[in-house]
Amino acid sequence: MSTTVTETHETSTHYGSHVLKPERSNLGLMRPDHGKSVLIDWLTTVDHKKIGIMYGVIALFFLLVGGVEALVIRTQLAFPENDLISAQRYNQLFTMHGTTMIFLAIMPLNAAFFNFLVPLQIGARDVAFPRINSFSLWAFVAGALVINFGWFLQLLEVMGLFTASGPTAGMNDLVPSMGWFGYAPITGIEFTGAGTDFWIMGLQILGIASLSAAMNFVVTIINMRAVGMKMMRLPVFTWMTLIVSLLIVFAFPAITIALAELMFDRVFGTNFFVTAGGGQPILWQHLFWIFGHPEVYILVLPAMGIVSEVLPAFSKKPLFGYAIVVFSGAVIGFLGFAVWSHHMFTTGLGKVATAAFSLLTMAIAVPTGVKIFNWVGTLWGGRVRFSAPMIFALGFVWMFMMGGFSGIMHSSAPADAQQQDSYFVIAHFHYVAIGGIFLAVVSGIYFWLPKICGKMWKGNLSLWVAIFSTVGLNVTFFPMHFLGLLGMPRRTHTYLEGFGWETYNLVCTIGAYILAFGIFLLVVDIIRCLRSGEPAGDDPWDARTLEWTTTSPPQVYNFARNPIIPARDALWEHKHGPENRKITYEPDDGHGIHMPSQSWMPMIASLGFVPLGLGLSMMQAGVAYMGYVAIFGLLMISLGVALWALEGPGGYHLHPEEEN
Amino acid sequence: MKKLSNGYSRFISFATALLALTFLSGCDLNTRMSTFDTKGPIAEAQLDLFMLTVWVTGFIFLVVGGVYVFAVIKFRERPNDDRPLPSQGHGNPLVEIGLIGASVLLLVIIAVPTLKGIWYTHTTPNNTYSQLGTWYEGDDLAAEAEEEILVIRVIGYQWWWEFEYPQFGINTGNEMIIPAGKAVHLELRSVDVIHSFWLPRIAGKVDLIPGRANSMWIQAGDDFDTWVEKNGIEGGEVELQTAYANYLKTEIHNYYYGQCAEYCGDSHARMLFRTTVVGDDEFADWVASQKTGHTAPEDKSWDEWYKTYDSHPESLSGDVNEGLKLFVGRGKCIACHSVQGNPRALGVAGPDLTMVASRQSLAAGWLNHRAEDGSIDTEKQYENFFKWIKEPDVVKPGNLMWKSNGNGIGELTDPEDPDKIKLLTDDEVRKISLYLQTLK
Repeated sequence: MSTTVTETHETSTHYGSHVLKPERSNLGLMRPDHGKSVLIDWLTTVDHKKIGIMYGVIALFFLLVGGVEALVIRTQLAFPENDLISAQRYNQLFTMHGTTMIFLAIMPLNAAFFNFLVPLQIGARDVAFPRINSFSLWAFVAGALVINFGWFLQLLEVMGLFTASGPTAGMNDLVPSMGWFGYAPITGIEFTGAGTDFWIMGLQILGIASLSAAMNFVVTIINMRAVGMKMMRLPVFTWMTLIVSLLIVFAFPAITIALAELMFDRVFGTNFFVTAGGGQPILWQHLFWIFGHPEVYILVLPAMGIVSEVLPAFSKKPLFGYAIVVFSGAVIGFLGFAVWSHHMFTTGLGKVATAAFSLLTMAIAVPTGVKIFNWVGTLWGGRVRFSAPMIFALGFVWMFMMGGFSGIMHSSAPADAQQQDSYFVIAHFHYVAIGGIFLAVVSGIYFWLPKICGKMWKGNLSLWVAIFSTVGLNVTFFPMHFLGLLGMPRRTHTYLEGFGWETYNLVCTIGAYILAFGIFLLVVDIIRCLRSGEPAGDDPWDARTLEWTTTSPPQVYNFARNPIIPARDALWEHKHGPENRKITYEPDDGHGIHMPSQSWMPMIASLGFVPLGLGLSMMQAGVAYMGYVAIFGLLMISLGVALWALEGPGGYHLHPEEEN
Repeated sequence: MKKLSNGYSRFISFATALLALTFLSGCDLNTRMSTFDTKGPIAEAQLDLFMLTVWVTGFIFLVVGGVYVFAVIKFRERPNDDRPLPSQGHGNPLVEIGLIGASVLLLVIIAVPTLKGIWYTHTTPNNTYSQLGTWYEGDDLAAEAEEEILVIRVIGYQWWWEFEYPQFGINTGNEMIIPAGKAVHLELRSVDVIHSFWLPRIAGKVDLIPGRANSMWIQAGDDFDTWVEKNGIEGGEVELQTAYANYLKTEIHNYYYGQCAEYCGDSHARMLFRTTVVGDDEFADWVASQKTGHTAPEDKSWDEWYKTYDSHPESLSGDVNEGLKLFVGRGKCIACHSVQGNPRALGVAGPDLTMVASRQSLAAGWLNHRAEDGSIDTEKQYENFFKWIKEPDVVKPGNLMWKSNGNGIGELTDPEDPDKIKLLTDDEVRKISLYLQTLK
């Protein structure tokens, strides 16, 4: 397949012509075109595939950062009364481990899959708003920078290049250390320092990134589907993306408000959570968990989507109960908003609220169970191939089930009074997060990386990744159930001897290193695949959905001609189904494919969040002129958005000439 | 394919062996903070519910997990598999509805006892056994308290606990004393950040939230009726009462370990507490001595001691007198601590020290001197006092005893000469420790 590029003409004519509007706007602004220089190409790209890859790479980096934080935590806890790290450092580490894994590793990993796959799965050439997509990516990067800025300062401090004195006297407590949940009032200025401000501003920026990305995907999935791709023909992964995007749209405003109130409390002296002024710390918990519980499903539904793609592909059977799987995903999303107070059973909700949230929490186990039944049903009577993606998907079902069971144990509020804030909870959500989400994401990486990079995996290293990560995960987290039930509270930097916790803790620490080795092998395997994998071909797994009809890696325009979808599991039906279910393509109208020009503006606008966030944070700490830095950031954002609006539409035409 | 399934089974056996090893080596479930070794009706109700969820989910796990493993093995691809494509079924509505129905039924098995459990654990009982008038043996009880049960106000501080007994006008720190077999009502408050009260063998958690009064009830050991009913013992009233008293004495009277369970800042890990469960007589004695407090050393009256202290302090000699002088003087201890009896030791920002030498731990449970037999190891106690006063920032990073004094104990700034920092010397710390050891 080769392409020719036609230059954009300088004159505009009526809509529908292949002649485009001028590339320059009236202000004379230029948008860089695809392919001018590699660096500029990636920085200014609006291509959903490149954006997806960048999300993935950055997320994997933060996965490793969060992993190292976890290893230091586990090493500290290996022995009672260990003093490897100080209490304060430990608190920074667990705070940043949670924040990093949730917001900088799992969410962007999911975003990487959304970006790369959704347009391909629905037969579109890109997302609905390519420049907003770029904006989301760079806003995510800005948020990650702001949230981790404390580590950077602390490093400088350790190296002797920075001290909290003179103009920076207020800059102490540099790394967030109030927990990823940031329960008021420990986030107040009385109790914590600059780290909390970085955390507030960083999360707020990440929220903007997530919200803009989510709205983009809602519009994309609703509006950009190929002809014949009806809603009930969507791949389940795309369905889960849609549900997750809606969850983000409805859940993030709650934390946006909470963070804004907290920022006002700290920077401008308001009273939302300050007890001394009559504020209500409990308000934070309600707002936080109205966001925080749907967030759990924001993290896990894409994993369920991945597994719902992998299991049918490697069983040579359609997903059992497609409609019910989709519907239960929607029910989980809906009920996800009605269970937030089960995080607060010990806060004195009173009988009635406790009972209500207890029952609702049990109710949400039903649609989750339904998914597991349907995955088992998919395997039943199929032909199960133990290829790399399938091993991880099968592991997911088992481990996720175990995480689900401890979830049911929490739903009984009186029993939860013993489990809350103990290691039992840590065991529960790591079974869901690592046994569930992580294994599913690795399954997705094994499944789709050949499509993304065009190269096939080499050898059987994946099996060792599976062995080490699954063994490591179980050895680390299974004993934690017992630790919790034997009374060990969470978030403690050390513990006394004689409580029966020593052996369990040591075993957990050993398990963490086994798990880490598994993740190391995964990185090695990915590098091997990228460096020396054989060409993968379009459809290396004999898969089912539309993305496998494109080349590997897909062309910049995805589909040379728009596909017309006759059925669910379009490619499978195309390969194995009756004649009337073949994928056909819209006729070539001779215009070629209109490709968008790239743009600097989304990046400029979103990187403006860095001076805004850091400026406001340091202004709170009393550093001079930081208000001006914040104003500069605001101007940068406004300027970026304004110029973005005034950019010429640009674009160029490609003429893929199909050779067959 | 063969290689894959081999490796898979190898990994499963490896994992199982490792986990089995863990539980064989550490399977003691009767540890100090174990939720399995319950010593009260609330923890017991919570454990019963937990075990119910374990059985129900264990059942689901066996069934679903069994079918899952069976499906994976039975329907695996064989080498050179050239059978036609499996049947392309899209599901079966009856199966789906059946499974949903079954899940709901299984959850109802958990839901009904859960509701009962919520009401039970959330409703403080007021039975005659627990009413102060029935069991309190002291004679200083106000008439209106006769029909109340014991109330304890638990107040959380960064990072220690205050236990106030409003019906008796006393308060203590970090080690709570409660009577065996009686329901006790706890009012939970915090003065700074959120803490959580967790005494695993007696009750699950309730949070202490600033600006809000939470409450819970706890009880160590069963009351008489429950105990009789549970054990099905027959016999005369007197016999039963003796057996019940014996049960309380041998099984319930004990030293229980608790800990703050909500992250509350730097030294969250070191915010522990203890609860001693005692008999009715011992409780009354404790209340009485806590109320009376202490006289000055050598049984002097405080008036006399302070008169000497104010006029010619050098005549008060001996380690204990010297220690007390530092306690009220250069050590500035009385700015935050109170000792009943001592008219100048009235501080309220730190724990009450009236009976501090009777406690079996210091620094909110972090430094322990409880001997094997339950008595106090006085040598260890001295060491702990010394360590705690000498370097409070090491024992409990960020704590106020260190911070509010300007990072040290003693005189940190001399108005004449700012370089002249006069922290307590080792000898002075030794004397204060010796004095504190007399507060029992």
